[in-house]
Amino acid sequence: MDVTIEYHHIDRFIRCLLSHYDVIAPLAKEDRFIFDRIEDPAAVSPQYDTTLLPPVKWIYPNNEVLLEFDLRDITKAEVIAQGRPQALTFVHPCDINAINLMDEVLAEEPSDANYLTRRRSTVIIGYECLGPCKENHLCFDKGYHIAYKGFDLFFTDIGGRYYVHVATEAGREIVEEDGSFKKAAYDDWVDLMKARAERKKGFKKVIRGDLEMLSHHLKEAYHNEIWDIEGKKCLSCGACVIVCPTCYCFDVSDEICPDMEKGVRTRRWDGCQLRGFCKVASGENFRKDAAERVRHRVFKKEVYLKKRFGRSGCVGCGRCIDYCIAKISIIDIFNHVMDRVRENV
Amino acid sequence: MFNFLPMPATVIDVRQLTDKERLFTIRLDHGRSLRHRPCQFVLISLFGIGEAPISISSPPVDSGKTFELCIRSMGNLTNAMHKLSVNDKIGIRGPYGNGFPIEKIGGKDILIVAGGLGLAPLRSLIKHVLQERGRYKRVILLIGAKKPGDLLFREEVSEWERDPAIETHITVDAADPSWTRHVGVITGLFRHISIDPLKTIAAIVGPPVMYRFVIREILAKGVFEGNIYLDLERRMRCGIGKCGHCQINGIYLCQNGPVLSYLEARKLQEAL
Repeated sequence: MDVTIEYHHIDRFIRCLLSHYDVIAPLAKEDRFIFDRIEDPAAVSPQYDTTLLPPVKWIYPNNEVLLEFDLRDITKAEVIAQGRPQALTFVHPCDINAINLMDEVLAEEPSDANYLTRRRSTVIIGYECLGPCKENHLCFDKGYHIAYKGFDLFFTDIGGRYYVHVATEAGREIVEEDGSFKKAAYDDWVDLMKARAERKKGFKKVIRGDLEMLSHHLKEAYHNEIWDIEGKKCLSCGACVIVCPTCYCFDVSDEICPDMEKGVRTRRWDGCQLRGFCKVASGENFRKDAAERVRHRVFKKEVYLKKRFGRSGCVGCGRCIDYCIAKISIIDIFNHVMDRVRENV
Repeated sequence: MFNFLPMPATVIDVRQLTDKERLFTIRLDHGRSLRHRPCQFVLISLFGIGEAPISISSPPVDSGKTFELCIRSMGNLTNAMHKLSVNDKIGIRGPYGNGFPIEKIGGKDILIVAGGLGLAPLRSLIKHVLQERGRYKRVILLIGAKKPGDLLFREEVSEWERDPAIETHITVDAADPSWTRHVGVITGLFRHISIDPLKTIAAIVGPPVMYRFVIREILAKGVFEGNIYLDLERRMRCGIGKCGHCQINGIYLCQNGPVLSYLEARKLQEAL
């Protein structure tokens, strides 16, 4: 079932969402956009480029409480796996694809109860970007500029109104409860097709060569000089992995309440680019050079995840490039590897 | 579905092994049993301090009642662990990892190479092999330690030395005047043994630097790559193949390891 909603009804629609869900929406903050919980529909800015942190972090939050414990009695520890009903709204296809991959990774047995609980209580409202948001993006190369699943509703701006694809039962309920939606007519569909045809023209490829072969070429380039070159630039700050929508490495730590009786065990985001990530108690560091760590990040996305889940772990959102203060670009790395292959052929 | 809740357990016994290592005997509460395999590990949990992965040092057969953990005081959790005494409570998650493929090695000669703290996980295999001695042919045990005082499980090692069912060779890097066994690095012990490469299964655990030298010796004796097993230890944090700390190339050691054959490990550039 497809419906449409006029621009000026969006406020009412969000107000309706607010009555059932914590609404997480893109909003402007200083010179960037972020996803944040909103109370006021007017704060939402559906037109945004890429948010600083990806929306998946609302399903996989930092400092998430895993357990509550009592220091006096070990048997009183309790699992905390909560999911408040939340709606992630105006989510771009790249970020939806990232959530799809995270679902698969974290549902793989032994599955992650905390993520899955939160994921089950989350509805996702997709929003079609009508062109590339920035230059640094490789979503088009990867085919991740289109999301085929992973949303309950999917909005496309078709001028004056949004075309809304209703994908799930939860989506249907939202649409039916809110009276702002009209059944999509033929003209709406024609406008959708036009918007999509126009959209396609905006994207261009940034990777030279056949991306299908990238994983294979990378494996050949395991000892390539590119890792040392990029490793020398890398400051090991971990920004790239914190902003990545498919990074899920974490560390577990305990915090004790000031009463010295109760405490919580929390999970916080960790990153394979940080110096101590692979350090063990003996002092041995199994990935001590930045070059090895940069290589690991690229391989994890493009080789290891691809092997396990059949598709690349890089959705092409470009955040790791935008936020790298050392100007390391995964596009440049891919192109370097692709060019090197062509030189050798 | 997995959650991070540890099973409550009780410290039954604490034994000082060296100046740095203690052996803890643990019993899970509520009559639960661990049911582990040799070379698997558990995550020990002390609320308020955190978790740490520790190899299980006792053989599977005892697992129904109690199990043993040999712990060196190194970090926050292990230091706190050393302050515990009998009847104190700890949390246990696990067992994790694939463990040693004991089903596949019946009827073979077993060569066990333990460097330093590597004897802690391998003791579970050694004791298992000795308990089911009839299933295996020759059992050869090579043990290395930095100095005599660092040698773990000293009484048991002496028993193994006297036991005709097992050929034990022990060396230390630096001896003191009372030391009567071998001196030198562990690879030196290969001079003293002869093995039948066609039916030998090797198990190696030791400090990271040790592996490639020991593997070289074993390969030189003609043992197949697929018959050399390594137990690779990393910073296992979650045990469920998610947190990323124990990842070497494409695999998570806490799930696909820690025991890998050299045939598998050789393909992983980060393994050795």
